[in-house]
Amino acid sequence: MAEQEKKKNIIDLFIEGCRKGWDTGIRNMMPNVIMAFVIIKALNVTGLLKILGSVFAPIMALWGLPGEAITVLVSSFMSMGGGIGAAAGLLGSNVLSPKDITVLMPAIYLMGSLIQYLGRCLGTAEVNSKYYGIMVGIAVLNALLAMWVMKLLVVMY
Amino acid sequence: MDEKKPVPKQEEEVKWYSYVALLFAIIFFSGILATSKEWYSVCDFTVLNGTFGKIAAANGKMLTFRGAGGNGAQDGFAFALSLLPAVIFALAVVNVVEGLGGLKAAQKLLSPLLRPLLGIPGACGLGMIASYQSTDAGAGMIKAMYNEGIINEDEKTIFAMYQFSGDGTITNFFSSGAALFSVLVTPIILPFGLIMIFKFFGANLMRMYIKYEHKKNGAKEAA
Repeated sequence: MAEQEKKKNIIDLFIEGCRKGWDTGIRNMMPNVIMAFVIIKALNVTGLLKILGSVFAPIMALWGLPGEAITVLVSSFMSMGGGIGAAAGLLGSNVLSPKDITVLMPAIYLMGSLIQYLGRCLGTAEVNSKYYGIMVGIAVLNALLAMWVMKLLVVMY
Repeated sequence: MDEKKPVPKQEEEVKWYSYVALLFAIIFFSGILATSKEWYSVCDFTVLNGTFGKIAAANGKMLTFRGAGGNGAQDGFAFALSLLPAVIFALAVVNVVEGLGGLKAAQKLLSPLLRPLLGIPGACGLGMIASYQSTDAGAGMIKAMYNEGIINEDEKTIFAMYQFSGDGTITNFFSSGAALFSVLVTPIILPFGLIMIFKFFGANLMRMYIKYEHKKNGAKEAA
């Protein structure tokens, strides 16, 4: 946590936060979104998205999602931003509805960036590597269960 | 996010306005005031985030500057650009709340709950709050606390599991996630709260697994 050096007033804090937001937006969010859009375009042009959609339709139907939603989960696994990008791309091409996006939202983070975090979290904390497998499993399970709860909340809402 | 290895400090006193900041943040991002027509809807993220102006298309439809029917990298760029204000605004608010000590207040409220909820010492509160902001800071603190003997091997593993799923929660959710806030059909706080709850759930699965493992090993040694 940042040490509170000199007291900053609320305006300073707000402006500083805006700069952080600009940096994250331009340096992290935009590259991820562009990559995801390009991948979705490539999947579309080659017809692979349709194939993926029909192959995974029965599985994703467990959460009331179209099969193509699998691309969101797979992208999330690589990076949270990628997952958001994929979700946005599929929303843009009307494959996913706002309801689908809402159901996917907790999963994008709960199983998000796991590939990176094996190093950045578990590696840094020097967790015994024999646990890596089960920890990834638990994180994915978290995501899958959370989608059911979210689905329920969406229906209730 | 440069990696620091901060040593957990003695608890500082939390100011009253830090609790106010925390409460404000929860209300502001919860979306409960979003649909209100009263003046207090000013305390809502989506209300203040506003909307882009609309452009009339040839067919009479009203579109934002992103237009309709785009795809590929170009549409990705336009879309990312349209998301940028939400990201900038969300992180600005998070920065204000953080600066006013809102996260310290959360830490103070969380610490006594850590033993019953996760089976780890209350001193982990600081590391937990740090991990909401930065994956690297959170993980660095797990290591520092282990090296200092504040947590043992099992507690380290449980705490790491807690952080691992949905790591950098606040920073990530309110940056990339802010991009989709306007699409969500529920208040923003629901998916966010769910992530927070499942982080505890996953860590407890790990806690049970470690317990089971010890039992198995104990049985082996006894045999």
